[in-house]
Amino acid sequence: MERRDFLKISAAGGAAAALEGCGNPDHQLIRFIPEEDLLPGIAAWKPSICTQCPAGCGLLVRVMQGEAEVVRNGQLGIIKMGLAKKLEGNPNHPINQGRLCPRGQAGLQVTYHPDRVRTPLARTGPRGSGQFQEITWDDALKQLVSHLSALQASREEGRLAFLTTPLRGYRKSLVSGFAAAFKGAPPVEFAFFDDSVIRTANSSSFGHASPPTVDLGQSNYVISLGADFLGTWNSPVAQSIAYGMMRKGRPGQRGKFIQVEPRISQTGASADEWIPCKPGTEGVFALSLAHVILRDKLRPGSAAGASIEGWSQGLPDYAPEKVETQTGVPAATITRIAHEAAANAPAVALIGDGATAHTNGLFNALAVNALNALLGSVGKPGGISFTPAGASQTGKAASSDFGASVRALAEKVLSSPDAVKALLLYNANPVFATPPGWRVREALDKVPFIASFGSFVDETSALADLILPDHSPLESWLDDAPPSGSARTVASLAPPAMMPLHNTRAMPDVLLDVARQLGGDLAKALPWKTYDEALQAAFTTLYREQGNKAAKDADEFWSKAQEQGGWWSAEEKPAGVGAGKASGAPMRNTGPQFEGAAGEFPFHLLPFAAQMWYDGSLAHLPWMQEAPDPLSSVMWGSWVEINTQTAGERGIQQGDLVEVASQHGTLRAPAFVTPGIAPDVVAMPIGQGHANFTRYAKDRGANPILILAPMTIAETGSLAWSATRVKISRVGKGKMVLFGGSLTEAPPESRHR
Amino acid sequence: MVIDLDRCTGCEACVVACHAENNISTVGEDQAARGRAKHWIRVERYYEGEFPDVKVKFMPVLCQQCDAAPCEPVCPTYATHHTAEGLNSQIYNRCIGTRYCANACPYNVRFFNFYNPVWDKPLHLQLNPDVSVRTVGVMEKCTFCVQRIKAGEIQAEAEKREVKDGEIQPACVQSCPTRAMVFGDLNDPQSEVSRMARSNRATKLLGELGTLPKVTYLQRDSWHVGEDARTD
Repeated sequence: MERRDFLKISAAGGAAAALEGCGNPDHQLIRFIPEEDLLPGIAAWKPSICTQCPAGCGLLVRVMQGEAEVVRNGQLGIIKMGLAKKLEGNPNHPINQGRLCPRGQAGLQVTYHPDRVRTPLARTGPRGSGQFQEITWDDALKQLVSHLSALQASREEGRLAFLTTPLRGYRKSLVSGFAAAFKGAPPVEFAFFDDSVIRTANSSSFGHASPPTVDLGQSNYVISLGADFLGTWNSPVAQSIAYGMMRKGRPGQRGKFIQVEPRISQTGASADEWIPCKPGTEGVFALSLAHVILRDKLRPGSAAGASIEGWSQGLPDYAPEKVETQTGVPAATITRIAHEAAANAPAVALIGDGATAHTNGLFNALAVNALNALLGSVGKPGGISFTPAGASQTGKAASSDFGASVRALAEKVLSSPDAVKALLLYNANPVFATPPGWRVREALDKVPFIASFGSFVDETSALADLILPDHSPLESWLDDAPPSGSARTVASLAPPAMMPLHNTRAMPDVLLDVARQLGGDLAKALPWKTYDEALQAAFTTLYREQGNKAAKDADEFWSKAQEQGGWWSAEEKPAGVGAGKASGAPMRNTGPQFEGAAGEFPFHLLPFAAQMWYDGSLAHLPWMQEAPDPLSSVMWGSWVEINTQTAGERGIQQGDLVEVASQHGTLRAPAFVTPGIAPDVVAMPIGQGHANFTRYAKDRGANPILILAPMTIAETGSLAWSATRVKISRVGKGKMVLFGGSLTEAPPESRHR
Repeated sequence: MVIDLDRCTGCEACVVACHAENNISTVGEDQAARGRAKHWIRVERYYEGEFPDVKVKFMPVLCQQCDAAPCEPVCPTYATHHTAEGLNSQIYNRCIGTRYCANACPYNVRFFNFYNPVWDKPLHLQLNPDVSVRTVGVMEKCTFCVQRIKAGEIQAEAEKREVKDGEIQPACVQSCPTRAMVFGDLNDPQSEVSRMARSNRATKLLGELGTLPKVTYLQRDSWHVGEDARTD
């Protein structure tokens, strides 16, 4: 071939390639002018706040320039923008000190999730069908405002309900301020892992209605009753940092750690001793320790046990020998642990998760509070203390309880259908996370108008008439006031780490906009144009009250807080422990109640927080689905944990499909056979079994909440989710994906060979 | 690297941090069921004893960056080779996918791309521009976050100084809540990693195979209070 011919052919090929380029829709998009000044290849680190669980860790977001398809003014196009590439802990943040858990690491995928709601949606099909059409923000807001002004016109403001995930800080002030100024019902907060039992117990024992901050780092002896404090409970990163200190941070001194729970949790796996007690007897176990300490005069008696019946007589009913059968723990073990704990001060006890989700959960928590007081670990180094509240506004918002529970809301709607005429929904998913006995789904069906601010169409948002998608956390102004995890006052703050990708608006900004459009008292109560103005006003107050050492004026305080991810007090000064508000007769153990007769339903069902999916709200992230569970290595599905001996007796093998039945329903999941669970207990992770909630979570695994009995803890009204009894039977071969492979049949390619 | 098993709680922050840093794609349920999920670092668990006397031990396992790596001599294309700094590195564009290295590796830490990786849009925007994406037919493995090592060295050189101990942290080490993992220069006897590697709890994973792994594990400890201060 001559050179000239070669060039001709190449030119023709080049032209074809160029034409092909024109045919690619990607290349037809408009190029927007960049909104930020960024250097290619240079990373900027911006502070943010992790919202994956309630711990409130501080983040640093690695932002680098990239090209993204975005919507600007309703127009799709391409823009060069700063994109979040990696999340790391903020090293200066007092809660997580630069560290992060797996759920926090995966926060990035919330922003970039392919199934995020990208633009406002209006329902077209029947409720729950998931059929929506895209509408503009103007239309969406018009619909919302017209529903709300109709309520105002007919003087039915009280029939507006706000159902939200638990909020903190100024976001909570804004939402409750909106509800109050509209004269609507107070907002209802809902999360499956509800800490109301611990807050009630701590309020009663110590005068602090918040979860404790545990100084594990200086502790020599740790007794945890059911609390998965290294995995998902309370402030797991702060507690893990302290745990590392407790084990190896002090030369020559290694604390001992005992975990008491019927199923070995990820935290229990790290314990020096795992003690399987009978479900619901954690409080009895704690008081038995107290009995031995009082009997053998190992520590001076304490008045904090006044809330427990029989304390002044030395708890005669809780002698280890007397409670041996009840707790299933040998008397000698209890006596030994009591002596060890008393001899190795500072010793501390903590309780949480399944142990507080029994009908006697409050008794269990109060028993542990009394034990801590006896061990002398309240408000002392190596013991429990309380994170001091921030500025008056944050403090007030954090301690005020939204009150009514989602169950009460459902009952109200079911008894009089007109009770709620419009419902605003923010990131709470009670349709997934309440037992069917609470009839939340039926109640929501009766509400004539539901508007959701959700970023994803989950089981509850699927019922909405209107979806007004929020920005992702990384795209939002965030603030937080973590109630535990630090001995400093913490007021976290973060500006958006990146510009929004989609046609979304921040929920607080939408509320402010709606308030402006409705006018009147509402507009007067919420005078700010945008949420960051509200935050700046709040931080000005905070500066006057607390921060005058940190900056020379309020403006500097505000900009410094944005730079470092918030403001925290310089000195560690835990809130003082008060006398408590114990009222009424001393508490007695009524024993845990279970639903289902022991004969017909021989097993306790113990649902637990999955390390990767938490309460199910993280099951939509592919990294979380593919990360192997720490104790079973299961990926992409759920499982039932069954004791080795029990499984053997019933002919159940690893991976077999098992049917779990309670009085309220049945589900099927593969069996994970383990020695780390009591023979009369079966356990299941919470988080899978979503009916929708994106392509990664939909129709995957089973949801144990759907077979739970609607038992409650009388004092708090919260769900006693450890109180259901079940029966199990083998159905056949199942499918369980373990890391390292779990083929139950030959793969297709090997059949060809 | 030193991993203190007495601090490790098996939380798997390292596992997800590694995915985020190194552009490791997820493979989905069906491929995962065939053992094709890719986790450059994993947490192994060992159950000991029968109910009620059960103990569980966690152990994070990643490429041990062996000095006598069994994966290296079997590679026909020198895709797997030893760098001057002592890293066991994988050169993706040399790899022709024989998978000999994965067969030779006793630690099971090499992962093969059976398909081209897929990120459902816009998940591709999370990709770290400092790390290349591997295509079908290529073996991949832990690099000790070589991109972070290089960035740290370049930064130090620009400032005309030595790299400081603890300045460079792979993503897993950075994220670890209990500080179970420590990374540093083993050639510097003063570094924290060297000091810890001399601990009387130090052990190597399958060290008896003669692979000379560069990851040291410190065994889980038992309870001791008030004993004489130990070196670890």
